[in-house]
Amino acid sequence: MAPNDQYVLNWATRHLARAPGPARHNYGQFQPDDAGAQFCEGWRFPIIDTSAKGVDENDVTFVWLDGDTSTTEVKLIGTFPSLFEPIALEPVSFGTEQTRYRAATFSVPKGQVHRYLYLVDGKPMPDPINPQRFIADTGHVWSRFFTDSCAQPLELERWEVQLLTRLTAHILPFRTTGGQNFLSMFHMNSDRNTRDTQYADAFRLDEPIGVVNFIDKLLARQERHHLADYKICLAQMDAVLRRRHASTDPASIPKGAYEDLYAELATNQVAGWDYVRYQEPAYFLKLLRRHTYTGAFSHPRHGGNAGAAGWAYLEETYRDANGQSAFDWSRALEPPLGRNPTYRG
Amino acid sequence: MTLQTEFDVVIIGSGAGGSPIAYQLTLANKSVLVLEKGPLLRPQYDAPDGKSDFKRDELFSTGPEKRIQLDVVNRGASYYSSHIEPDINDEPHVYRTAEGGDKATIEGYTAQVVGGGTQLYGGVSYRFMARDFRLQSANQGRTLEADPNGDVQREARDWPVDYDELEPFYARAESLVGINGQVLGQEKDFKGKDQYQKPLSPNPISAHALEGMTQLGMKAYRTPLAVITEDHASSGRKGPLNEEAKTAYVNRYGDPLGFKSSTYVALLIPALRRPNLEIRANCTVTHLECQGSRVRKVHYRDPGGAERVVSGKLVIIACSAIESVRLLKLSAKADTQFDAAINQDGNGMLGSYFLTHCFGGASALVPAPERYDKSLTLDSDYSTDHCAVDDFLDENKLWAGAAIYNNTSDRALPLALGRNFGSRDLDTVWDAFVDASNLVGDALDDFLKRQFGRGLSMTFMANQVPQKSNRIELHPTISDKWGRAAAYIIKDWHPHDVALMQRYAAICGQILQRGGVTEELGSGGVYGKDVLARCANHILGGARFGTDRRDSVLDPNCRAWGFDNLYVTDGAFMPTSGGGNPTLTIQANSFRVAEFLKTVL
Repeated sequence: MAPNDQYVLNWATRHLARAPGPARHNYGQFQPDDAGAQFCEGWRFPIIDTSAKGVDENDVTFVWLDGDTSTTEVKLIGTFPSLFEPIALEPVSFGTEQTRYRAATFSVPKGQVHRYLYLVDGKPMPDPINPQRFIADTGHVWSRFFTDSCAQPLELERWEVQLLTRLTAHILPFRTTGGQNFLSMFHMNSDRNTRDTQYADAFRLDEPIGVVNFIDKLLARQERHHLADYKICLAQMDAVLRRRHASTDPASIPKGAYEDLYAELATNQVAGWDYVRYQEPAYFLKLLRRHTYTGAFSHPRHGGNAGAAGWAYLEETYRDANGQSAFDWSRALEPPLGRNPTYRG
Repeated sequence: MTLQTEFDVVIIGSGAGGSPIAYQLTLANKSVLVLEKGPLLRPQYDAPDGKSDFKRDELFSTGPEKRIQLDVVNRGASYYSSHIEPDINDEPHVYRTAEGGDKATIEGYTAQVVGGGTQLYGGVSYRFMARDFRLQSANQGRTLEADPNGDVQREARDWPVDYDELEPFYARAESLVGINGQVLGQEKDFKGKDQYQKPLSPNPISAHALEGMTQLGMKAYRTPLAVITEDHASSGRKGPLNEEAKTAYVNRYGDPLGFKSSTYVALLIPALRRPNLEIRANCTVTHLECQGSRVRKVHYRDPGGAERVVSGKLVIIACSAIESVRLLKLSAKADTQFDAAINQDGNGMLGSYFLTHCFGGASALVPAPERYDKSLTLDSDYSTDHCAVDDFLDENKLWAGAAIYNNTSDRALPLALGRNFGSRDLDTVWDAFVDASNLVGDALDDFLKRQFGRGLSMTFMANQVPQKSNRIELHPTISDKWGRAAAYIIKDWHPHDVALMQRYAAICGQILQRGGVTEELGSGGVYGKDVLARCANHILGGARFGTDRRDSVLDPNCRAWGFDNLYVTDGAFMPTSGGGNPTLTIQANSFRVAEFLKTVL
C-alpha cells in the first residue's frame, strides 16, 4: 500500500534529518565507523505500528534516506510478502516538493521475524538505518525486523534464557505463594485458543510472565547497547554457578543459589567473578531490575507481560476496601486485550 | 505548483502561544502559516486510517534508556524521553551546575509536536489571581521573609495588562479550548460568566484532599482541566460517554481520543477547515533575517533538511521560552541588523529574567485498608486559592501566592510507580528503584501492596522571584544536530523562593495530615539531583513585556521593541511567572494579541 507522506515525515524528520557531523548516538551499540550511529533511535525503523487492517497485523513502513549521490531506484526484497519480487519504495513528498525519503508500507502478521535487503540501483545492501542484522548460513548479511508480540528468541541462547528466567523470577513478586497460585489459575482458566496464541509465547521461553522474552526483544532493538552486558554477565554467572554446583546444570540448582547470587551481585562482591572482564556486576543487576520490572508490566506488544498476566496479577491482588479491584487496566485499552469501546490501539 | 512563500502571518510554534493567533487570524481571513518543529500526530477521529499516533502505552511516555554523548559533566548518564520530547543528544539543553560545570538535562523541554506542550500536559488550566499581574505594586513597603536587601521590590514588575483587561480573553480561552471546572470557590472574578464544562466525578482518593482543605478552612474548587466532558461545539468534538475520558494515560501522554484539549484539536483542526491556514509540521526554523526594523525572511529546514525561506507581514515566535530566546539570539548572531534591533539600547534584556515556578508539595499514603483505582482519573480533582489571597500573604510575609491542588494521575500505572519511586525529577527516573536491590520477591510484593492505589500528593505552583542573572544564553561549544548553538540555562533560586517553597510545602503536608493521610508523609520544595535544573516544564520569561523599552524586550502587545512586525507570544513574555500553571494565561494573552494584530494587518 502507498505510505502516507505525512506519516513518514513524522518519523523521519526527528530521527533521520540532520546536518553531517559526528555521530551523536553511539553508546556501545555500533562499531565506531558505523553510519547508523548518526541517526537518533535508528532502531525505530522499519516503523512497526498498529494496522487498520486488523488486530493481528502490523503496518510495517520502510524508509530510505537518499544520500548526497543521486539514486535512481530503491527496491526492497524480503521474506515478506515475497522474496522474489522486489518492490519499489515510493518518493515521499513535502507538499508539492520532493524530499530525500522513499518509503513503502506492508501489512505483516504480528509475532513474526523477517529479513530484507534494499536493492539500490540494483545493488543489494542492508538497511543503513535499522541496526538489526541477520547473518545467513551463507554469510550474507541481511537486515532484520520483528513485529509486535514476537516470541522467537533473537539474541539469547537457550541456556541464557534459562538462567535469566531463574533470576527474574527471584526479582518479581510472582514466586510468592500467592503469585504462583495466581499465575497457575490465570493460565489454567484461559481458554485454549487464548493459551495457544497469546500465552504460547511465554511458555515457549519457559517462563509464565514473558519477561525474558521482553528482555530478548529489548536487546535486539531499543537497548542493543546492553547486549554485551548481558552476554558477558550471563556467561560469568553461569561459570560461577557451575563452579559452586559442579554436578548440576544451573537451570536446575535450588533457588537458594540464585538468592545468594542476587545478593552478591547487589553488593558488587561475587565470589569467583572475573572483575577484569566486567568491573561492576552491581551495574548489571540494576539493568536487570529495570528490564525485569518493565517487562512484567508494560504493554504486551513489547513481548513481556504475556497475555497481560502482570496487569491481571495487580488487578486481582490489589483491591479497595469494598473488595473491588484497584486496577481496572482493561477499561482504557484496545480490544481484544482490553475492553475500551472507542480506543483502537 | 510550488510551496507558497508569502503569507500575512508566519507563526513559529503551534502550542499555547501560537495556536490562538493562528485560529483568530485564520477566521479573520488572513493567510496564515504555522511552522512546527515536531510531527503532526492526530487523534483517531482526525486520522486517515482511524488510528491515532498517540498510544496508551507507558513506554511511549518514558522510552528506553539512552545515554548523553555530549561534552558535559554528565556525559554517559542515562536519560529517558517521551516519543515527542526532543532527544538530548540531538537538541541539547545545557545548564550550569552549582559547582560550575555544565550538564545536559531533560528538564525544561516541552513536547515537540503540533499542539506543543498542550499535547502532553496534565491540562491544569488556572486563571492567575489579579494580584499576580501587579506584584511590584502589591509588595511596595512590605517586609518579606528572606529578602533583607529588598530584591523582590526591586525586581518585581507589574504586567502592562491587568486582570480586568485579560479577563475577556480568559473567558474566550476557556470556551474555545474546552475546559471543565468550577467557578465557585475560586478567588478570581469571573464577571458573572461561567464558561466551564461540567467536571467528571472525582476519584474517591481525592476526598482526603478535600477533607484536609475543609478542615483547614480553605475553600476548595474542582481543578479546571483542559479536557472536554461534553460535546464541544467550536471544535466539533464529541464529548466522552460514561466518563471514558478518565484514564491515567493523561499527563505526559497525547490523547488518542482527542478529549484532552490540545491546541491542535481545539483550535487548529477547526481553523484548518478554512483554506487560508497551512501547517507545515517537521520544519525547524533556523533563523530570522531582517531589513531595518522588519523581519523579511524566516529561514527553516524542511522535513528532509533542505533549507527554505518564507515571508510574512507579521512573524510570531511561540516555540517555548527557551527555544524562542535561542532563536532570537541565533538570528542576532547571524545578522548584525537583527542583533541591533533585538538588543535595542544594549540593555541586556534578551534572555534575562528567565523564570520557571517555585513548586513542590507533599505526598503520603492513604490509611489502610483504603485503596483506590487511580487509573480512573484525570490529572487533578481539587484546588484551593487559599494561599493566594492578600491576608494569607501578609500573615506569612510572602510576596506572591500559589495555587495548591491534588494530583490523582501520579503513580497510577505500574511502570510509573516503579520508575518514579524515590525520583524527584526527569533526570533521575528509575535511579532509586534500580538501587533498591532489596525490593525483590516478597519485598517487591510488599512494596506494591503498600503503594498501589494508595499514593496521594498535593502540589503547589507559585511565582519565582525574577532575577536578571537567571538567563538563557547560547552555549559556547555545544550544538544541536544542525550545528546551531544549544540553549544554555543559567539560573538559581532566591532565598525568598526557598522560604516560600518551604512554607507552601508545609501547608501541602498539613492538608494531607488533616485529611487523614499521614503514612510515609514527606514534603518539600523544588527537589532533585540538581535543583538548578528543575523547571516544572513551565518555561517562562527571557523576553518579558513591559511599558519601558529599557526594561523589557517586548512592548505591551508582545511586539519586539526594535521591530515593526515581530512578536513573541509564548511564556517568554511573562515578567513574573504567576501563581499557577501558566498555559491558560499564555492562551488568553495570545487571544488578546490576536485581537490587536487584526487591527494592524
